[in-house]
Amino acid sequence: MDHIINDFTINIATANGTGSQSANLILLQSLFDMGVPVSGKNLFPSNISGLPTWYIVRLSDKGYQAPGDRTHIQVLVNPATWDEDLAALEPGSVVIWNSDTKKKTVERDDIISYPVPMSSLARKINPKIAKLVTNIIYVGVLAELLDIDQTCLETAVAKQFKGKATAVELNITALGLGRDYCKEHLTKSDAYTVESRKVEKPQFFIEGNEAAALGAHYGGVQLLAWYPITPSSSMAEGIINYIPRLRTDDDGNATMAVIQAEDELAAAGMVLGAGWAGGRGMTATSGPGISLMQEFIGLAYFAEIPSVFWDVTRVGPSTGLPTRTQQSDIAMLYEGSHGDTQHIVLIPGTVEECFEYGWRAFDYAERFQTPVFGMSDLDLGMNRWACEGFTYPDKPMDRGKVVREQEIFDAFETFGRYLDVDGDGIPYRTLPGSGMDPILYRGTGHNPMGVYSEKPEDYYNLMQRLRMKIDNARDELPAPLLREEEECEVGIVFLGSMENSIQEIDDLLEATGMMVSQCRVRALPLHSEVEEFVRRHKTVIVLEINRDGQLYGILRRELPNDLVTKVHSVAYSDGMPPRARIYADRILQTLEEVKQ
Amino acid sequence: MSEKPARAIKLNVLNEPKDSYTGGPSSLCPGCGHDQISNVIITAAWENGIEPHRIAKMSGIGCSSKTPAYYLGQSHGFNTVHGRMPSVTTGAYAINKDLLYLGVSGDGDSASIGIGQLIHAIRRNMDMVYIVENNGVYGLTKGQYSATADVGSKKKKGATNETQPIDLCALAINLGCTFVARSFSGSKKQLTSLLKAAMSHKGFALIDVISPCVTFNNNDESMRSYGYVKENEITLHMADYIPHFNPVEEIEVPDGHYRDITLHDGSTIRLETISSEHDPGDAMAALTALHEAENGKKHVTGLLYFDPSKPSLAEDLGLVEEPLLDVADEVLRPDKASLDALNAEFLS
Repeated sequence: MDHIINDFTINIATANGTGSQSANLILLQSLFDMGVPVSGKNLFPSNISGLPTWYIVRLSDKGYQAPGDRTHIQVLVNPATWDEDLAALEPGSVVIWNSDTKKKTVERDDIISYPVPMSSLARKINPKIAKLVTNIIYVGVLAELLDIDQTCLETAVAKQFKGKATAVELNITALGLGRDYCKEHLTKSDAYTVESRKVEKPQFFIEGNEAAALGAHYGGVQLLAWYPITPSSSMAEGIINYIPRLRTDDDGNATMAVIQAEDELAAAGMVLGAGWAGGRGMTATSGPGISLMQEFIGLAYFAEIPSVFWDVTRVGPSTGLPTRTQQSDIAMLYEGSHGDTQHIVLIPGTVEECFEYGWRAFDYAERFQTPVFGMSDLDLGMNRWACEGFTYPDKPMDRGKVVREQEIFDAFETFGRYLDVDGDGIPYRTLPGSGMDPILYRGTGHNPMGVYSEKPEDYYNLMQRLRMKIDNARDELPAPLLREEEECEVGIVFLGSMENSIQEIDDLLEATGMMVSQCRVRALPLHSEVEEFVRRHKTVIVLEINRDGQLYGILRRELPNDLVTKVHSVAYSDGMPPRARIYADRILQTLEEVKQ
Repeated sequence: MSEKPARAIKLNVLNEPKDSYTGGPSSLCPGCGHDQISNVIITAAWENGIEPHRIAKMSGIGCSSKTPAYYLGQSHGFNTVHGRMPSVTTGAYAINKDLLYLGVSGDGDSASIGIGQLIHAIRRNMDMVYIVENNGVYGLTKGQYSATADVGSKKKKGATNETQPIDLCALAINLGCTFVARSFSGSKKQLTSLLKAAMSHKGFALIDVISPCVTFNNNDESMRSYGYVKENEITLHMADYIPHFNPVEEIEVPDGHYRDITLHDGSTIRLETISSEHDPGDAMAALTALHEAENGKKHVTGLLYFDPSKPSLAEDLGLVEEPLLDVADEVLRPDKASLDALNAEFLS
């Protein structure tokens, strides 16, 4: 039998709250440490304990990180989804199942079955925590069947249970039980196997939320005001966790404040208060939180208050699917709040960019005196991704046009808070407590001096200046990432975590004979290079993880009329991280329709 | 040092005239109680000798929240959004804890749309003065009842209010607010002394000021009309809390007797000074006084509750001594070595 090496998908079905996450991460980490390109997707419920969870591990020498189109190896531990999971398997698939599960068995003769009495094995170690240990038993079985390196496994266990010697020992024993059972009672009859790979550059695994949290620290964040919400909480907690190490002096005093607010409205208010006072404030939330923050977002835009909002998006509308992923807040962020608004949105697609935009967001917010959004998503934020390391900021913090010294203030012929002195739409500001040019900030109409005004020309001029200010930001924001074919046949414009599926989509499309270029949008408003990319290509697909094609809507409105007709939307979302085949098929279908 | 003017103008400890504490002209209805409160703010800040630019004027939305334009013209301010002034103040405070945060709000702001933010600012013992200019109506939207309107209040036109009111002072005491007072916009002297004390308080100081609306709530059946309050106000002893530094003027406390004060419109109000036996440290006594006043359809004024022992938000945050605003950028951003070390650890 031919071996299938490093090119298959494992699906592990468990119940949440049973400790399966630790076991799955050990499996993932050990494969990663063997140099195997691997990705893990945690499909978890909005629940503390007892509901179905799936963990998808995909090994791909090609580096594909999307969940695959099918499961090759299914681990069955959860009776609740047993029948469904089993029925979904294609012929020839492998099933590793807990044969101690009451009333459940595997009766399909078109699949390869490995029964393992996981519960009995686990009870041998410690009956009290058998349920917990069951999970690590299947990792041991997988390790033996797939030939996973024992040293890598043990390192992964040590990493997972850092410093907890008892837990490390217990898990290594359980791994051994799984391996031994496999050796003694099972005969390998499947083709799947793992081989070590040499990695050119050393890498580590990290979640997008932790990367963004670190980025915020290197942006000198001074206030984190937040309200817990999945899938953003781990970003806020990431910031908190690094305060002792990165932001605390010898006396134990911190250079940043953390306030867990009473709700998202208050969190946003605190962020604005910090920006108004001259500090760097941020919040981390998800779509429902951004919905609640709309009022303050408008105030920040209109009163020109630097403020940073991270939206780790999940599936909407409403409470939606709180633990699934989607890119459906693009329009809400770009045009947040009532009235005419337009906001800067930074859209990382990798953990390196989560870190980078984590600090850059503050520079943009202070430079343009406006709210700045970071838009990540559950897939990027809460799953682990390979990273070569983070790059230290290449320039000092940009604090924008703040007048801090009396001498500089005195040099102004006339000082007005909203006076466009430099013609770039960005006015100068003084800070509370400075004694320089005090004004009463307001969300009501105001003239260039910051005084209340309902005069038509004051309102009109203010709104024009605000538009110019944000418009001027376009080409100072991260440029799109282009991977272009010379033929300029089909161009795909996409954003964010789609980065992790795009190469596989590209390959599937090119397998049909077409040449595909990629343009990953990394910020809004759109960089001028996006327009040039569209102009160069014959047909352009805007690919996104939502129903309505929100990015497509923005392109349609902002591109010159002559370009609009060659841009087409492919938007799809079912809550799952983007599976390449689904999107590739839809692109092919759309291209077919365009031809007709 | 400012030059001594030719004509003797009264100066405070900072050699500042009272003019340094005034603001723009008011656009509220003539005779509005809120303007009297603005004047008290000017007087209290001047008498307490606070540098005007070290005050931050905070407000929400409503008639009351417009007033920061009418006082302390040398102070920065933020007229935020409806009911959300506490959160904005909290964020500003985290960055610059050395400013005096002076919030002005109304009963719509504080008892309805923003009651949650008020509660949580109290819960954090945010270091600020929070004045509620309480008239029982929504003025800017032309006279709807607010959540502090008493049962039985009757508008000039329209139905009688049958919904029970929220007593912000009772609420604050129950929440453990560290400074709770009630006053009347016409009681200039009492309000000034309360405000001066509140400005010196470390923690959250709530002053609920009954401030009748001359336009929408000034018929005698309304329990926040001049006529009603004039007849039915009882007053706890005036605040004799001494600010942290030497006050400009001694606060005289007339214990144990009545005083009639003539209001700007010619009417008079009886301030009843309760016996000095009321212990502001006794929350039960304060709640009893509020309860009895409510039963008797009266308003009790004065310093109701005071607890200087609780830590304020600044202590909870565990920050460096200087305000975060003054921490250098190079200190805020961890150095490159720290990131190199993190990268190396992640890779190990």
